[in-house]
This record gives sequence, structure tokens and C-alpha cells, in this order.
Amino acid sequence: MNVPSEYFVALSAVLFGLGAVGVVLRRSAILVFLSIELMLNAANLAIIAYARQWSATGGAHALEGQGAVFIVLAVAAAEVAVGLGILVAIFRNRVTTDVDQLSEVRA
Amino acid sequence: MIGFAILAVVAVAGALLVVTARQPVHAALALVGTLLSVAVAYVMLDAHFLAAIQVIVYAGAIMVLFLFVIMLLNVERQPGVVRWPWLRPVGYGVGLLGAVAVGATVLGQTRAVPDQSAVDAVLQGGSPERIGTVLFSEYLLAFHLVAVLLLTGVIAAVSLVQRSGDEADAESVPTVIEAEPGLREPA
Repeated sequence: MNVPSEYFVALSAVLFGLGAVGVVLRRSAILVFLSIELMLNAANLAIIAYARQWSATGGAHALEGQGAVFIVLAVAAAEVAVGLGILVAIFRNRVTTDVDQLSEVRA
Repeated sequence: MIGFAILAVVAVAGALLVVTARQPVHAALALVGTLLSVAVAYVMLDAHFLAAIQVIVYAGAIMVLFLFVIMLLNVERQPGVVRWPWLRPVGYGVGLLGAVAVGATVLGQTRAVPDQSAVDAVLQGGSPERIGTVLFSEYLLAFHLVAVLLLTGVIAAVSLVQRSGDEADAESVPTVIEAEPGLREPA
């Protein structure tokens, strides 16, 4: 009846892989950022799947996994606010968000 | 099990669209679909409070912020030049290889399917009360640090987007909204 935890972890691996592909292949900085969000979610899904698996084997502290995911969510929210602020500032100065053209930092 | 199959198909289809969609708005909306199906997965994993938080914070607040910025910057699909043509197949290959490696490793070591009564005894459905007890006792320091981080994020976002005084005089807000991005001079 219950779905095995491995299935959720495998789903999270697929989502994480797709997010990584998006980070590498996307040229618009906003879409790179979107792919990073996808990877964060995949990691959260894996943590929650393992938290349930641990709780079934009698781990009294298994709920801490869900607490960790809560904190990851808060950090992701702060990261999105700052990251999108940086993107708007870059766009205002450069009129592009193409990561291939934003290479001045390169030595 | 059929529920998991449906949600997995929706989540992977949404993630594929995030990577392949030409319009950024379509990619963002596809990510909303993936986030909602991940919230369903949280419910199946006895994390009900986090499922609600996922819908409210992620699919709600964060994605609205993304859509706002996409529409504000008016990033249409950029034709651009493909700098390295070989990067696309290599990227998909490496991503597929990584996902298959992790998936095969995990699926190869099957554990016992969790017993629902044992899960309920510890997680209690992931209720706000239980998670709050964890957050406000053992993880109080982390909780406070998150508060500091959020404050820092708010100040950083405001100061990044804020214009300096003379710049704001030269370019009033309405003209910024009307101006086409391609026509605007780089500051």
C-alpha cells in the first residue's frame, strides 16, 4: 500500500539531474536560476523520503528531517529575493541576462 | 502506487519543460506544476505541514516573484548564438547518466516498505505542532539564524534594486515601464 521510499529518492534524482542539465544548458540567467530552484526541491524531496524511512525503523529524531526542510525552504526564499534583485540590477546596467555575455568577472 | 506514478509523470514532465521550453514564462509555469506535484509527494510521505508550506511559499510566493521579474525584464526567447554546439547533447548525457546512476543505486538496495503505524507514531503526519516542537527546542539557534538571514535578504534586495538619487531624477519611473528593453540605453 505504502510507496517505497526508494521510488521517491529515484524521482528526486531525476528531478535533480534535469535541474543540473538546465543550469548548464540554459543561457538566460533567470532560467538558470529556475533550474537551481528545481534542484533545491529535488534535494528536499530526498530528505523527506529518508525522514519517513528513518521513522519507520524507530528513529525518534526522524522529524528533524522535516525541520531541516523547513529551514531550507526559508533559505530558498531569501536566496530568490536576493538573486532576483541581482538579476534586475544586472539587467538595468547591461540590458541582457544572457550568461554568455556576462563574463567580465573572468580574469 | 498509481498515485505515485501519476505524480512522477507530472513532476518529470514539468521539469523537462523547465529545461526545454522556449518562453521563460512557460518554463516558470511548468516549474509550478512540478512544485505542486512535489507537494503531493510530501503528503504521501507524511509531511502535511511542509506540503502546505510548499504550496504557499514555493508555488505561491516564490514563483509569483519569478513571474514578476520575467515580465518586468521582458525576456523573450533570445535567438542568440550557440557558442558550443556539442554542449547540448553532452549536458543531457551527463544529466541522464547521473540520474540513472543514483536511481539505480537506490533502487538496487530495496528496504522494507515503511509500516504506516510506525511512521505515524514518530512523525504524527508531520503536523505543525510536532515540527514546531522540533524547531523551537533543538533547532532554536538555526531558527533564529534564518530570521537574521531573511532580514539580510530583505535589506539586500531593497538596496540592490534601489536607484541612486541622480539616476532616479534622470529617469522617472513611468518611462522605465513604457520603454522597450531593446531601445533603452545601458546606464
